[in-house]
Parts: sequence; C-alpha cells; structure tokens
Amino acid sequence: MSMKKNYVVETIRKSQMVELLSKGKRLDERTPDQHRPITIQTGVIQKANGSAIVTLGNTEVIAGVKIATGTPFPDTPDKGLLVVNAEILPLASPYAEPGPPSEDAIELARVVDRGVRESEMVDLKKLCIVEGKTVYTVFVDVNIMNVDGNLFDATSYAVVSALRTAKMKKYVIENEKVVMKDEEIPVPVERTPVSVTLARIGDTLVVDPNSEEEGAMDMRITITTDDDGNICASQKGEASTITPALVLEAADTSIRIGKEIRAQIMEATK
Amino acid sequence: MIPGDVITRGNHRYGSYIEKRGDEYVALRVGLAEVSHEEVKLNPLTGPYLPRADDEVIGKVVDINGFGWVVDINSCFDGFLPASFVFGREFSPATHDLSSKFRVGDVIGARIESYDRSRDPQLSIRGEGYGKVPEGEIIKMSPTKVPRLIGRRGSMVNLISERTGCDVRVGQNGVIVVVGPSEGIVKTVNVIRMIDKEVHGASLMEKVEEYLGGSAGGT
Amino acid sequence: MEPKRKLIGEDGRRLDGRKWDELRPISLEVGLLKNADGSAYIQWGKNKIMAAVYGPKEVHPKHQVLPDRALLRTRYHMAPFSVDERKNPAPSRREIEISKVIREALVPAVIVEDYPRTAIEVWVEVLQSDGGSRVAGITAASLALADAGINMRDLVVGCSCGIVDSQVVADLDDAEDKEGSGDMPVAIMPNLNQVTLLQVDGIYTKADFQKAFELAIAKGREVYSMQRDALTKKFFSGEASSSMEEAESA
Repeated sequence: MSMKKNYVVETIRKSQMVELLSKGKRLDERTPDQHRPITIQTGVIQKANGSAIVTLGNTEVIAGVKIATGTPFPDTPDKGLLVVNAEILPLASPYAEPGPPSEDAIELARVVDRGVRESEMVDLKKLCIVEGKTVYTVFVDVNIMNVDGNLFDATSYAVVSALRTAKMKKYVIENEKVVMKDEEIPVPVERTPVSVTLARIGDTLVVDPNSEEEGAMDMRITITTDDDGNICASQKGEASTITPALVLEAADTSIRIGKEIRAQIMEATK
Repeated sequence: MIPGDVITRGNHRYGSYIEKRGDEYVALRVGLAEVSHEEVKLNPLTGPYLPRADDEVIGKVVDINGFGWVVDINSCFDGFLPASFVFGREFSPATHDLSSKFRVGDVIGARIESYDRSRDPQLSIRGEGYGKVPEGEIIKMSPTKVPRLIGRRGSMVNLISERTGCDVRVGQNGVIVVVGPSEGIVKTVNVIRMIDKEVHGASLMEKVEEYLGGSAGGT
Repeated sequence: MEPKRKLIGEDGRRLDGRKWDELRPISLEVGLLKNADGSAYIQWGKNKIMAAVYGPKEVHPKHQVLPDRALLRTRYHMAPFSVDERKNPAPSRREIEISKVIREALVPAVIVEDYPRTAIEVWVEVLQSDGGSRVAGITAASLALADAGINMRDLVVGCSCGIVDSQVVADLDDAEDKEGSGDMPVAIMPNLNQVTLLQVDGIYTKADFQKAFELAIAKGREVYSMQRDALTKKFFSGEASSSMEEAESA
C-alpha cells in the first residue's frame, strides 16, 4: 500500500476554531455538544438481508447485512456468529488508498463491533439452530462512501440501523433435518447501542468532529451506551493524554446525547 | 456542451478544451460554448487547476524538507518554495531554520515562478503582498470560475470589495482569502458561493449587485 | 436433475416482463460524493454502482510515473453485500480482470497527454450487482470523469447483450447471465463510433453474433442520451440531488 498523505489543517483555521470555542461556537456554527444532522435510510440493498445508508453531516456510509448458516465456534456451541467489518473505500477521500484495510479501518471495525457485541444488541443464543452443529452467521459489512470526520459514529449508526431492519430466513427442524422455510423473520435484536465520539480541540471537548476538526484535534474518545444508559464500550484515540475528570465528562455527554440519537435511530428503523 | 459534442462547423480560430476533427469543432469538457464570427471558445464549468507561470496562488505549507517548503496549491502537483528564494543565495540548511519563516499549516500567497512539466511548480514570494497570510476567512471555489470572480479587469472583485468593506485576495488556483468585518465576510462568502454555482455568466454582475445592494461599507 | 427453466415465456416476455430488446430501468446522478473530484451513481435494473474520480494528482509510487501522459488507475470492486452469497472484500481474480478491461475501455476517451506525470484514479464500487455491472460501471465512470472536468474526446457507454433460450436479447440480468447461453458486454465512444470494450462468452452463430453486437451498440446509444441528461441536470439546470439518500428516494 502506498504512502498516505496526512490532512494538514491551516494554522489560521485552527486558531479560529480555538477562538470561537472560547465563545461556545464552532466554525460550522454548531455548539460544542451539537452533532450534525443524521439521516438514516434502510432497505436500500434488496439483495442483502438488511442495509442502511447513514449520513452524518457530509460523512456518508452504507452498511449491508448478509446472513448465512455455518458451524459455531467449538467453545460457544449454542451461539451464532456475528462479524462486523469496515472498509474506507478509496472513493471516500483523497487520503484513502485501495488495498488491505489500514490500521484506521481495522480500529474502526473493531470499535464498532465491540459496541454491538458488548451491548448484546443481538442475542447470539437466538441465532442457534442446532446446538453444536448449525447456527446463523451474520456478517455486517460497512463501506465508507465519503469521509468528513467521525467515521466511528456514522458506522455505528449504520450497523445498528441495518441490523434492526434485517430479516433472515427461518430454519426449522423437520424429521431431524434442518429445513429452510420461505418465511422471513427479523434478526433477534434486543438493544440499541449508540456511540458518541468527542474530540478535544484546545481545551474543549466537541461532539461529532468533522474532518477539519479531526485535523485540529489532539485527542478523540468514543463512548457507546445502551438503552439503560450503561456504558458498553469505549475507545480513546490519538497519541495524547486525557484527565480522568474529562473522561467522566465525556461519559455524561455520551449518555445524554446517545439517548437522543437512539430515539432517532429507533424511529427510522421501526 | 459535454465531451464529444460538436460545437460548430466551418473555419474558425479555436481555444482550449476544443478539438478540430475535419471541419467540426468538438468540445472536450463540460462547459458553455461561445461562437463568434472568427472564434470558437469553450468555457469549462468544471476541472482542475493546472499551474501556469505568473499565476498568483494561495496555498498551505504541508511539508518542509532540507531545501524548502512543500506547498499544497490545490493542483495535481504540490508547489515548491525553495529556501534560497527566501533566505537568499547564502542559504544553507545548517545555518537557516526553515520553520522560523514558514511552518506546516501556514497559508501563503505566492506566485508560480516556473512550471515546465518536467518537475513540480516552483513558487516565489518576491514582491508586494506575498508571503504568509496571517488571518482571514479561507474559502475554495472551482478554479474554472475564478475568472468570473475577478471579472473583466477586476470589475467583479472590486465591486465586492467596495460593497462589503473586505479585502478579497483571489488565487488562480481557486483559493480565496477574505479579510474584513464579519458581516462583510459573510456577504463575500455568499457571493463567492453564488458565482461558483451559477451556470451562465451573463447576468452575474446584476445578481451580485442586487444581493450586495447598498453603498460602500456593506450595510 | 431439474430441467433448466425457461427464461423467455410463450408470449416472448422475459422473467421480469421485458421484451427481447428492452433495457431495464436506468437512473443516473452526477456529483453525489463531496470529496471526489467527480462522481456518478448509476442504478441499472438492480445494479447499484458508484463511480468516483480523483485527479489529476501525483503518482505514488513515483517510479510508475509516465513522463508524457497521465496514468489511469481503475479499480472495480464489489461490496461484500452486493451479491447473493456474501463476498470476501479482498479482490477476486474476476474483479482484477474487470478492473483492467474497464481501464482499457476508458483510456481511449481520456486525453491523457494533457496531464503528463500525473495519475487519474477511477474507483468503481458495486453496492448491488445484478448482471451487466461492468458496462454499468463504465457508463458511470465516464460520467465521473466528465464531472471531474478531465479532458475527454467522447463519453464511453456500454451495454451487454447475449443469448437466452436461443434468442438474442439485450441487457441480461443476473439470472439470464447465469442461466443463458451467452453474454457480450460492449462499450463504445458514441460520437467517434469506436468500440473500446468487447468481451464474448458463449457460442454464437455468425448471424447471432452480429445481431447481439449491433443490438448492444444501439442500446448503448440509448443509454448515452441518459448520460447527457444526467450531466445537463447537474451543470445546466441547477436541479441536482445532493446525496445518495436523495437519489435513492427519487
């Protein structure tokens, strides 16, 4: 894979950001705890079991769910498989190159996966058809179509929206054989995890950074919360430090904003 | 016109973005054609900035190496500002610290000193007003629309300046820096966006006059 | 073994109701991606494909630079969820071959000599595939190049024809491609009347070969008028959509 150029933010722009933040505003007129408009469209890829296109400002991602059957892992014979994958397509940014996933893309996929898995969004036990032999395998693949910051949250909302609206073929046991029926049933979704990412610019934490703000940030933290306001996953990014107090402040913000975004996701995926 | 369209036939002088096939003049770009008695022109509506000698550009420093600054000029190649152009011929990496003059992230106004297609464009900051841009609102537009922003002999950009009270510095590479009172900046940015989106150049001056209204000072 | 099903009914209609020479519904939108220098989104039957162009730009790695022209790089890639069985994201041999033929179909149209020592990158991403994705990809890619303002001699447009139930048909969908007896993707530069892509698989009588080939070109010309409309909508009318979401619901 060839060299990746780094996005350089103009010093003037960074100064303007810091100055505005001292007055509680950002360059795009948002307040520090405001996220960009979110749009969610589901069922766009009919060949997939489920799909969603999410825009978060100008960041645009598409998630597709494909469900098949397979054998379970030997140490979890009664659980189905869930795999979350993400790819930053070269068409999404001048800084993205084709080839195997970069460390950024892998971190992205694993953080989103963690949020979905730890929250027990999908009850993997309900994906079991015959214990020890046949289970559903659920693949969620995300393609980033346009990068404008905060891929973590956009990807998370797309994965969650696609899973919430995904359908799978029903399998029953007839005469000791596993038979696929024509009937489709929804993927067993129990909870709706929502991730909220904050970036530190100067001394201020801002919610949902765009590309330019990410270019100026020195620290990023993503916190995923569930329907009960519990924290189920978190990741601090960038080679920098954060005080414990700021971590707790970020957690409070994520719980609060996560609630509002959860309502939007649930409305869009009814 | 879209690429492949025949603009006209006959015998004319013709400009860029046009190919002559037999007696046909064919467009090579999405754009608006202008056919006059002697000349066929195509005004492109989209396309990259390709560096030309003597163009004024506004760029940002993205890298520093031993011999100068690498400047992103919104083009297919980064520009290069040689340290010797700035520090003089006695320049040596041992005695001169390049980042004391310009650092990564600095916005600079420069001129394309030379570009001969065999190496990256060389920049120069010699002359009045070139060098580091210390402040201002940075905005980008399609390089194909820059001539409309400038206007015939600067008529459009001067009009904007007068009515908004702002200094508007236009790079041929589609990067613009606006300095002035914040209301004036908002109006200037809106005008620039309007010009960038507008298809036909004909009524542009009237539209801009109408939007800016008022007298000098931008109220 | 099950007998092969009939793909064309007694009434001459195909499984989706089309006549032998009908195209599937096609929609094209230019300029939906904000970062790309040029882009176009095509929905052709059930195919959903996004093409994007970046360039001209610097060549990396440097040793691949061409001194007198641009290097056109093309990648045709299918999303894992784009087909019936989930596809591994790593490039398959089929995708690598298609990337090459798409590049070779586009190069004759791009005036690469105007951009020496640069790279022009064309990314074709198939979000949903249903037969004829390579010609749909070429059709979108050529619009993306025009959107980016790269100098071009002509647009490139494609269509696939073939043999199904011993009849020549236009625009095979996935079932017809898999179960039929021949597939022929063709791409042309319509004004210059030059073929830039031709692939054939199946067995054709000479008469059928000619019929399928000429049909592909004729249908390609129909699609060309849609390309023109798409560019007109973005550049000459001020009515373009601004996101994939709008294009999907249109």
